[in-house]
Amino acid sequence: MRSAWRWFLLAPPLALLLVFFVVPVVYLFWVSLHAGSTSELYGASLTLRNYTALVGDSFYLTIIGRTLAIAAVILGLCLVIGYPVAYFVAMLPPRRRMLATLVLLFPLMVSNVVRAYGWVALLERRGIVNTTLHDLGLLDAPLALLYTPSAVVVALMTILLPYMVISIANTLAGLDRRYLEAAQALGASPVRTFLHVTLPLSAPGIASGTLLVFLLTLSAYVTITLVGGPRSKLLVSMIYDSVTAFQWPRAAALAFVLLALALAFTAGMLALLRPGRVQGSAR
Amino acid sequence: MPTAGSVLRAAATLVAFALIVVPILIVVLAAFSPSDYFQFPPPGLSMRWFIEFFRLDNMRSAFALSVELALASATIATILGTLAALYLARRGGMLANILQSLFVAPLVFPTIILGVALLLLYKTIGMPVFSGLLLAHCVVGMPYGFRTVLASAQGLDPSLEEAGQSLGAGPLRTLVLVTLPLIWPGVLSGWLFAFIVSFGELNTALFLTGPGVTTLPIEIFSYLQFQGSQLVIAAASSIQIALIVILVAVVERIVGIARITRAR
Amino acid sequence: MNAHTDDVRLVGVRKRFGSVVAVDDVSLGIARGTIFSLLGPSGCGKTTTLRLIAGFEQPDAGDIFIRGVRVTPMPPYRRDFSMVFQSYALFPHLTVAENVAFGLRMRRVARGERARSVGEALALVKLEALADRHPRQLSGGQQQRVALARAIVVKPAVLLLDEPLGALDKQLREEMQVELRSLQQRLGITAVFVTHDQEEALTLSDCVAVMRNGVIEQIGAPRDIYDRPRNAFVASFLGASNFIDGIVVGRDAASIIVETPAARVRVPGDRSAGERVQIAVRPERLRMEGSDAQGLPARIRDIVYRGPVTHFHLDSAAGPLLSYRQNARASDFRIGDEVRCEWDSDSAVVLDGPGE
Repeated sequence: MRSAWRWFLLAPPLALLLVFFVVPVVYLFWVSLHAGSTSELYGASLTLRNYTALVGDSFYLTIIGRTLAIAAVILGLCLVIGYPVAYFVAMLPPRRRMLATLVLLFPLMVSNVVRAYGWVALLERRGIVNTTLHDLGLLDAPLALLYTPSAVVVALMTILLPYMVISIANTLAGLDRRYLEAAQALGASPVRTFLHVTLPLSAPGIASGTLLVFLLTLSAYVTITLVGGPRSKLLVSMIYDSVTAFQWPRAAALAFVLLALALAFTAGMLALLRPGRVQGSAR
Repeated sequence: MPTAGSVLRAAATLVAFALIVVPILIVVLAAFSPSDYFQFPPPGLSMRWFIEFFRLDNMRSAFALSVELALASATIATILGTLAALYLARRGGMLANILQSLFVAPLVFPTIILGVALLLLYKTIGMPVFSGLLLAHCVVGMPYGFRTVLASAQGLDPSLEEAGQSLGAGPLRTLVLVTLPLIWPGVLSGWLFAFIVSFGELNTALFLTGPGVTTLPIEIFSYLQFQGSQLVIAAASSIQIALIVILVAVVERIVGIARITRAR
Repeated sequence: MNAHTDDVRLVGVRKRFGSVVAVDDVSLGIARGTIFSLLGPSGCGKTTTLRLIAGFEQPDAGDIFIRGVRVTPMPPYRRDFSMVFQSYALFPHLTVAENVAFGLRMRRVARGERARSVGEALALVKLEALADRHPRQLSGGQQQRVALARAIVVKPAVLLLDEPLGALDKQLREEMQVELRSLQQRLGITAVFVTHDQEEALTLSDCVAVMRNGVIEQIGAPRDIYDRPRNAFVASFLGASNFIDGIVVGRDAASIIVETPAARVRVPGDRSAGERVQIAVRPERLRMEGSDAQGLPARIRDIVYRGPVTHFHLDSAAGPLLSYRQNARASDFRIGDEVRCEWDSDSAVVLDGPGE
């Protein structure tokens, strides 16, 4: 009797997720195994050609390579800039830390299209950077800042940086100070304490921040299109193009390639950093 | 006394915060520009672009749709997320862990793929546009309510519900009279996150909007793609930002800042 | 155990969690209007037994009766009981008065009568002035009294208390023990409480069940259990005890003669020759006499002053011994003195030898 009542709690949300999350994704995978069709959503015959065509085609491989390269650079920048910022925020007294967290959270609530637009307004030919430099007399002809890979990197990096900072800062703030004190009592200098104690113990924060940034980079269609321009295609742009061209099996296969990249990265990250071993308390 | 390390960290923080916040400030500033294009420093302030925003039919209807969509999807998503959280609050074991991962999954799953998958499904079964979009946003928004309510419910003293039962309250009355009054801040902050996410959501709306049924972010995106950088977009963006600020301020008054920042 | 007048009855109740048997074939009866306590170390099953009576756990086997009604399949909110929780579990979002009124609301008592009953209950625990406060504004002792008022206002068939005084400091705890007992007697409610504090159990209860590893080792009135422990565990769990090992070498009508490493002693009992036994004597019953008296020879190793009594730690051939001596009487024992230990014949209890 008691379990029947509890079933009412579980059934509705589970139903929503199963029908509108699990089923569509499985269906998409199913479609990726079919040949294309001009009249229907997808053809009748089962085939692996959608995937093999991608692996063999240098065009797609270049795009995937470019996607991963840009993602790697963005990740690197977010880590290099994000860690010191996270450290700074984590060391703040509680009230200021809450304020800093709020300042970091606020941009995440603003739609990415607005944030990308901000970079467009900054970097375009008649944008702020160019007109300011021109007005200051430092420039004659406007620089082509927009529609370059660097623009995409800078824009995406600043959009995703808060995720990295918040992830790492939360972990650092939760670190038991006694670990650091124990290290110093054993003779470790501040630098060595950081390298051998703080850094490894912040692995969970680094892992979750890195995963978030990587996943979001792969999916950031709007930013990539607005800041990178219509000719700079990354993997996610190909997915969008295939959908608008009604090439569903191709779009599906590309989508699962993206998913595979995400999963591979996740697995690699978890294996590398092994955040699970950082459990327990200083007591 | 400041070390080289701490100076560097403070400098990095300043630079980082500037990089993160400046683009947004620029957009807001541009919205008040009196001229046809953005000048920096601005010669004055004007509301003309906001007036233009409300004059344009497609902008107005996109804004209205976004608000409706966010209200509806946040409410449904939070109710469902609350139910799931209450179910899992005191459960352990492998099945409970799997379920918990499932309910959090939409947070980490690339929403662009979800958008593609849902569009395919909708085309196959013939789903009306608004309903399809609404359901997509419910899926995307449910993890927020789920997480915040789960944290609230797990923070409750388990004896409280048992005390209710020992005094004669059945499961439903215990839920309504004991549990809900104590977890409502979690419910409210979950609702807030779901609203904000829906209001600014792009990746599923990209695929699931259609002629006549567009959200504000997608409308802004189309304008930028096809009509260049018009300042009415800046006004549209500022309105989006303003709505969020107001909402967060109102909920913060009710629930308190600590809860919002800790809920993440 | 009397099925007709017992308010609570457990028959063959068994409960396991995974591979651990928390309650192992427990049967007991609690007479109406008495205070019954479940006493034992952590993990002995006392809390599980209480929760089984409440219905927060379901037994794997056996039955539970409250006032003759078989409540085993019933959920907690249908059983006629109320409970004081270890953490008090006061509803934070309700005032003191609303907390106390909660059970009455559930029973659909009309508002006027509700207010009257709440007022009476608060007066009983002397907290009328705090009726409109919220729990977080109260001290631990006040919260505990609100929890009590909330539980008794519904006039339950049985009142369950889960280590109710555990969070209080010593002085407050002793005050509350007295108040609890007088309240229970005034209202005539049947009460069952769980505690690991043997002093508390002895002070408060009419009947005590000592539990270990899911099994009731002994049930009885506090004095009976204290003076006549059935085994070494019960003897040492309730207060301290001396244990003297020996072998039975002879017997007569009412007593046995036991050969111990220190001396040959005669104690009341009924054992066969050759049996290994332990003689248990409470330290307050072990008298020290001069070395020219009869009794077990021992030497004083340490003297510890403890306020009302002094503890004497002795060494003997039968092992270490403990003797309490009231400080009202003057004494001139010193460390190193040789003494003889004696006890009244009805002060010794014969238990099975270790390993029997």
